[in-house]
Amino acid sequence: MNEWEIAAVALTAALPACLAVCLLSPPAHGLVALELGGVLASTILMLLAEGFHRQPFIDLAVVLAPLSLISSLLFARLMERHLD
Amino acid sequence: MSWRTAAASAFLVAGAGLELLATLGLCALRDAYDRLHCVALAGLGAPLIAIAIVFRESFSLIGDKALLVGAMLLLSGPVLVHATLRSLLIRERGDWRDVAEDGEGGDAGTGLWMERGER
Repeated sequence: MNEWEIAAVALTAALPACLAVCLLSPPAHGLVALELGGVLASTILMLLAEGFHRQPFIDLAVVLAPLSLISSLLFARLMERHLD
Repeated sequence: MSWRTAAASAFLVAGAGLELLATLGLCALRDAYDRLHCVALAGLGAPLIAIAIVFRESFSLIGDKALLVGAMLLLSGPVLVHATLRSLLIRERGDWRDVAEDGEGGDAGTGLWMERGER
């Protein structure tokens, strides 16, 4: 296991904390946790691509990063008035 | 150990450490506005990891795409924080501009005007 995979495992261990905040906290806190989870997931995919020397992982990160931004902006917009 | 490997390791530790610190902050802080700082912090960690990958791989396909992802995450951090803050203020007060204009509690520039408490 090289250092990239170790870092990926460490960041993967942080994802359940974001999930717990999403599930157990009010919607505003859940949105913040969702945004942090998107950043973490994109970074984990970058680390896996380098750790395994597999290019498809970095392609997933390239797709996930803008989709995470768009979905978070959409949730933020909906949360202004429609989500309770 | 070459200097490139050492630099890659340093950037990797710094980036992963920032992201773990952001997650720790998400768990430790209790206010949604405080927790927003963690999103910006995590956005700073991603480009450091991308730079680490470039030090290791040089400008290969993975290195170039890692730089692209790092730049996207770096730029999306402040955008997300601003959009989320605006959304939360509208949710609480009806209009986010009212907070700065009605003078509730002081200096809008420092963020001290926000009422603290459970949100």
